[in-house]
Amino acid sequence: MSQRYDRGSVEDFGRWTEFSAGMWAWVFHKFTGWVLVGYLFAHIAVLSTAIEGAATYNATLQGLESLLVVRVMEVGLLAVAVFHILNGMRLLLVDLGVGLEAQDKSFYASLVLTGAITVASVPTFLAGLGGG
Amino acid sequence: MARHYSSFDRRGWRWLLQRVTAAFLVVVLAFHFFLLHFVHHAADITFAGTRFRMSNLGYFATMWLFLVTATFHGVNGVYNALVNQGIAGTQKRVAQVVLVAAGALLVVQGTRVAVAMAGISI
Amino acid sequence: MSTEPQQPEPETESEPEPEPEPESREPGHARRTAETEKARRADERERARTGEQRRHAAEAEDTYHLKVFRYDPDVEAKAEPHFDDFHVPYEEGMTVLDALIHARDEYDSSLTFRHSCRQAICGSDAMFVNGQQRLCCKTQLSALEEPVRVEPLPHQQVIKDLVVDMEHFYEQMEAVEPYFQGETPEDPTTEQRQSRENRETVKMSTRCIWCGACMSSCNVAAGDNEYLGPAAINKAYRFAMDDREEEAVKEHRMDVLAQEHGVWRCQTQFSCTEVCPKDIPLTEHIQELKREAVKSNLKFW
Repeated sequence: MSQRYDRGSVEDFGRWTEFSAGMWAWVFHKFTGWVLVGYLFAHIAVLSTAIEGAATYNATLQGLESLLVVRVMEVGLLAVAVFHILNGMRLLLVDLGVGLEAQDKSFYASLVLTGAITVASVPTFLAGLGGG
Repeated sequence: MARHYSSFDRRGWRWLLQRVTAAFLVVVLAFHFFLLHFVHHAADITFAGTRFRMSNLGYFATMWLFLVTATFHGVNGVYNALVNQGIAGTQKRVAQVVLVAAGALLVVQGTRVAVAMAGISI
Repeated sequence: MSTEPQQPEPETESEPEPEPEPESREPGHARRTAETEKARRADERERARTGEQRRHAAEAEDTYHLKVFRYDPDVEAKAEPHFDDFHVPYEEGMTVLDALIHARDEYDSSLTFRHSCRQAICGSDAMFVNGQQRLCCKTQLSALEEPVRVEPLPHQQVIKDLVVDMEHFYEQMEAVEPYFQGETPEDPTTEQRQSRENRETVKMSTRCIWCGACMSSCNVAAGDNEYLGPAAINKAYRFAMDDREEEAVKEHRMDVLAQEHGVWRCQTQFSCTEVCPKDIPLTEHIQELKREAVKSNLKFW
């Protein structure tokens, strides 16, 4: 509909409480995808300091890693990547026509696993902060 | 609108490539995260260590492929999201040009970085 | 099913063996008696419960509260969309459509909605009921929480009240050429038989009643107006998978399906599959067509 009648909350995201598993999986996959592609560009930009030489590279990386914000964001990045990987595998199976009846359960499983892996890795990511 | 579906575009190849790169990325991204956050902590990474890893041809090749596939997967994903949103006409054309340019730029810059890390002088 | 209280059947009581059984009987026999006894008691309990339910129904003033979307651009009072409340007396087995019909016939004759066969065949009365696309004639009121919100299908233009413009949906359905295109045999009276296996493959896809619930639920179809949508793709699946059509026809069908706004737009959110009142595995069919398209592409290279 090119000029469709706007029914306010009837449409789309106003209905988020009524989304089903498959829709949430899509929303999350898209969101994490945007984050990852954004990070990819930022990542290459930061690593570009390697072209300047060892000193700049080391200073930049260590400077960033000493910031709490960066560490926290890295945990976030891990969560995003893990979800995208797990849900991505779910989608690959769906594309192969495997386990379509369990698509909601596999989404919940991806979520739970993502949470578990993220929580478990927090100590690793915050290790050595402040102390050096 | 319904009648002018052309029979020339069979763009299944982008769909297929998105899946093929996905399968590759699942493995390599997990490896990348594991190696550079759990085996080596991100904070302890130095240029010397990076050069040591990148001097290994297999690692270098994997990382370069990682760069290329991730760029394709990401840029194509963004494009798909925009098409799903219903962009068309000039907007779509602009999106294509911008995304292809951004992707190409990323691959070129990424390759330069990789070369510098490995210490190959051109 | 009769709900009249029935006399216990005399045979149950006068079974050849009386209940206190001597131990001499083999164990199998004893089990059988125990089973009949259990079944009889379950039956009694069941009867008592339905009786109780009925009494409750009579006591409470049994009405269902409906909130119905109203909009009519031609009437000043209704040009601003709003919800009207209807309290419809409930009868056992009442569907949302029955309730709407009652509301229209008894309370407000201007309440407008499409319906025809009332048995999930014509596909006229798909609406957005309590946040989901449902076919009103096969949605039991008793399965819904009150108040029951009835709205027109989302992502389609509202013409009046619960009536939406289906034109775009029909256009997409027509775009896939939803008719059999096998070659006519020399003698046109010859039957064109389909193998049992092939019939099984397309069986579910033939059940589509063109209600438009799937299209309305689809997030991608909402954004991309050119997307064929689940119903049209499923319709195409029904013919593309039919062995009786020639290879060239199938190629043609795949061309229509594999263009940019065809199967590739499906994001496997499974919304269509979940709302389909005919339980057609729409997502599965779309996925199968994607693989078909890739396969025929690879063959081509």
